[in-house]
Amino acid sequence: MRNLFAFIYRYRGFLVFLLLEILCAYLIIKNNSYQGAAFYNSANAYAGRVLEFQREVFDYFRLVEVNQALVAENKALKESLTNIMLSDKLDSIPPTPDSGYRVKPDSLALAQQKMDTSGVVRTFKFVPGKVIKNSVSLVNNHLLLNVGRADGIEPGMGVVSGSGVIGRVKAVSQNYSTIYSMLHSQMLVSAKVRRTNTVGTIRWEGDNYRVATLDYIPRHIKLAKGDTVVTSGYNAVFPEGIMIGRVLSVQQEPDKMFMTVKVRLAVDFDNLSYVYVIKNTRQAERDSLEARSGIKENE
Amino acid sequence: MSKRTFVHIFQFFIFMAVQILLVRNVVLFNTAFCYIYIAFLLFLPIQMPRVALLLMAFLTGLTVDIFYDTVGINAAACVLLAFLRPYVLLVLTPRDDYEKNDTINLHVMGWRWFTVYALFLVFIHHLALFFLELGSFREVGFTMAKVVLSTLLTYLVLIIIQLLFFSVRRSGR
Repeated sequence: MRNLFAFIYRYRGFLVFLLLEILCAYLIIKNNSYQGAAFYNSANAYAGRVLEFQREVFDYFRLVEVNQALVAENKALKESLTNIMLSDKLDSIPPTPDSGYRVKPDSLALAQQKMDTSGVVRTFKFVPGKVIKNSVSLVNNHLLLNVGRADGIEPGMGVVSGSGVIGRVKAVSQNYSTIYSMLHSQMLVSAKVRRTNTVGTIRWEGDNYRVATLDYIPRHIKLAKGDTVVTSGYNAVFPEGIMIGRVLSVQQEPDKMFMTVKVRLAVDFDNLSYVYVIKNTRQAERDSLEARSGIKENE
Repeated sequence: MSKRTFVHIFQFFIFMAVQILLVRNVVLFNTAFCYIYIAFLLFLPIQMPRVALLLMAFLTGLTVDIFYDTVGINAAACVLLAFLRPYVLLVLTPRDDYEKNDTINLHVMGWRWFTVYALFLVFIHHLALFFLELGSFREVGFTMAKVVLSTLLTYLVLIIIQLLFFSVRRSGR
């Protein structure tokens, strides 16, 4: 017994080294699984507060850019609203009862009414959040948002910005949430080419943060440079038709079943300010249906 | 608890703050990263007990990991660095052994000693870090470029810190 202790004491440096490395390996593997412990990432309250403070300081230097992005988004929304308003039958709106002439209808109410009938709004709710940490140059990039469980955020929800898909919620704390960026080696998004309706999977290669790869496009599909790639809506995370990017190049390699398609991402990840977390109010129903019918296994 | 202990605790917070608040966003040519926080581990006293050094390295790495969302990766690289550090110091022992109040100081130990010491340990740390981050051995060329350029950048910053803040006198800062 004494020899054993003497042995342990003699090699204590190496043993402690081994122990700590095993602990690290355990943490790395555990963190790579979908739901890591929220304490060990930046969503914990202390790290979140430090990063939020940093972001507040840095934001002063880019107020102009943030404002321009918001104005552009506002403009796009306004245009789509106008389109909805013009396309709708204006006559279906009853005139205000106390006036003899028809006033211009409230465009927001009109859009709401139209969306209600198509069921879009009821299924998906959007929670706005501010990006307080972001990176584009690591192999696995994450974002940190200043919304958390208190705002109804849960792991697995989708995240979008005004210009396209951002990622998926990884872990949440009370007031912060960590997001898998699209620029994460294990982040896959079900996508389709809008013109041909071909479904594939978007994956980031890990080098250039403006370019991703679209996998599983069969060889007989004719794609053109500039074709729009959007979300497919085949999973409950993203609604159908959210912008991902445009086809940058198409390559047919003789020894492969599928084409190599490069996509230029619509979102400039280096320059994010406000994003929206998508809450699917029918996710539970959809999941349980898929589980019951055996399509999806319980995770 | 001497004045030196406080200097090292102070260094810990300064290097952490610099790493997390400033250097986190610095990437040159999309390949050269700066991990200056390991300066804290490199500048610890020469006669530091091994086990304490390993534990400190683990905590240092984990702190950075939390802010980088890379749990365990920086910690693993730091523990490796801490494990190798005593051996490197042993190999680099001057002819008449270290003096009692020798510190890791460019002015005291000389350029050649410091360069070998820092470059080797920084290289090992970055090598472990970038390959663990990759999680596999694809894209070896690009990752090696990242390792080498990042090592040079971190080393350069180490030298600048040494020249600016470390006094020529023998007793540390």
